[in-house]
Amino acid sequence: MMPAAMSAELPSLDRALVSLARDGESDAREELARRVGRSAYVFALQLTDQPETAHDIAQDSVLRFFQHLDRFDTRRPIEPWLYQIVRNRVRDLKRRERLRRHESLDGWLEQRRPEAMDTSADPAADAERSDLQKRIWRAVFQLTDSHREIFVLRDYHDFSYREIAELLSIPQGTVMSRLHAARQSLREILVAEGGTSLGGPPGRKGDL
Amino acid sequence: MSELQHGFDEALVSGYLDGELTQGEAQRVRLHLEDCAECRTMTDELRRLKEATMTTGFRVPDDTRWDEAPRGRGSGFFRNFGWLILLAWVVGMLGYGLWQVAIDTEDLFEVVIVFGFWLGFGLVFLSVLIDRLKTLKTDRYRRVQK
Repeated sequence: MMPAAMSAELPSLDRALVSLARDGESDAREELARRVGRSAYVFALQLTDQPETAHDIAQDSVLRFFQHLDRFDTRRPIEPWLYQIVRNRVRDLKRRERLRRHESLDGWLEQRRPEAMDTSADPAADAERSDLQKRIWRAVFQLTDSHREIFVLRDYHDFSYREIAELLSIPQGTVMSRLHAARQSLREILVAEGGTSLGGPPGRKGDL
Repeated sequence: MSELQHGFDEALVSGYLDGELTQGEAQRVRLHLEDCAECRTMTDELRRLKEATMTTGFRVPDDTRWDEAPRGRGSGFFRNFGWLILLAWVVGMLGYGLWQVAIDTEDLFEVVIVFGFWLGFGLVFLSVLIDRLKTLKTDRYRRVQK
């Protein structure tokens, strides 16, 4: 089933909403479930590239999120905790899928389509950006799992290096080097597919 | 591009783009970029890549697909308490019934029929319970960091 609604921006998971939900406010619980579901879905989609699987993972993550809500320390940020749940679920599924993937790799690859949309108001820039975004997300799914998740966490979800280090249980220095390797791999894929560089004006000293 | 060729760790460029470097490290990268066209091109491309990635929107499932919020603390308590009472009632009734059959019946065939069913049912239940307990023990989500 294709998603019916679009969201250019993920809603924030604010702590006040979590507190209300914990106090049993039904409206707050429903709103929180929606927001958690959306955030979990997008992250799962970025890790799996399979909308239906991402939806299943998101629903499962919502359940697990609410199961542990009472014990959650509201002074801590919510997204890292949620994404840890999603990441565990994705890894679990991938481990089980590995065998099946060997059986029907072609069919699985054909289903790979990132669902990118544009947010620019300028039609020309919009088209150019849209094209680049589609190329980027196609390329993201060619990265290794470890490169993909670190790239997505930093360049889409805007996690700090410290947050990524905590989430992935790696040193901050490793975050920087792995992230750079991921970006370089992505850049190489894009250049190889496009035949040229990523485009845009050449770098000038004044731009730095 | 290598570290030797550039005289500094190339990964610093990513740290520089993300604003994660110390003042000294950022200054070092800035100075290097002033002189190195190759690294400048790479930095521009990575910045463009980052910007395009950040501004990507994703389709998400319709709101109706998230409408059902998981049970709250109150309903969870009543559900668990309800199950407990129900289970106690079933166990009590079964025990009483079996006891009555055991002491009141002289026909061995009747006893075997009644006890055979409940023995089989009990063993199947036990096997499911063992599996569930094992799953609970190895549930990796127990260790999810909160």
